[in-house]
Amino acid sequence: MDPDLSVAIRSEGDRTVVAVSGEIDVYTAPKLREHLIDLVSGGHYQLVVDLEGVDFLDSTGLGVLVGGLKRVRAHDGSLHLVCSQDRILKIFRITGLTKVFPIHASVTEALSADA
Amino acid sequence: MTEATQTTDVAGAKPRDVVVITLPASSAYLSVLRTATAGLAARLDFTIDEIEDLRIAVDEACAMMLPQAVPGAEISCEFALEGDTMTVSVSVLTLDGEEPSRDTFAWTVLAALAGDVSSHSDPDQRVTITLRKRGGGSVR
Repeated sequence: MDPDLSVAIRSEGDRTVVAVSGEIDVYTAPKLREHLIDLVSGGHYQLVVDLEGVDFLDSTGLGVLVGGLKRVRAHDGSLHLVCSQDRILKIFRITGLTKVFPIHASVTEALSADA
Repeated sequence: MTEATQTTDVAGAKPRDVVVITLPASSAYLSVLRTATAGLAARLDFTIDEIEDLRIAVDEACAMMLPQAVPGAEISCEFALEGDTMTVSVSVLTLDGEEPSRDTFAWTVLAALAGDVSSHSDPDQRVTITLRKRGGGSVR
């Protein structure tokens, strides 16, 4: 079974946009974790993770995003999220992570925000 | 909704259907379980939001037990449908018999979405998480 998750990475100026689509669960989350680790190892510390294409997110996915945030912060970087789906935002609210991540309604908004 | 396969409990009062799904204790099967959960919740006229809550809650309950499952063991998920309430018991034989920690994102999400959650550990180190959710737009 292939992980039902795809990750597309592109540069936007000094930012790196990580567009995630599919389901982020305990099975697929390691794939996202590897991408984030690779980016940071490659010197990309200003990340925008676009969750608009995500159909499912559980606490495993939250853990991966928090791990990514810790990694970029170790290099004075940033990790912004793009998410306008209420059912995904609900998971961030329940766990108090809306106060930890800058969350934007669109990639454009995320890119125009301070890093 | 009419139900051809209804069973009755001991008291013979309320119809109560029980569906048991057994899966390998492997993360690869959680997406299948989520789909089944949504299908069963839809039978109880849960709202879209309630179905989504239950889908995530069952996923969290299983995911938190996977790391401690005995290799090769199966996860058993029992869905009891009664009135407007679904009770889901997820259990697996574990290596340590430890009940899940309450101090995790996973438990926070599970408790918030399911409302009524408990866990217990049997002497044979089978750990069970039980969650109960009412549907039909009710508070819980």
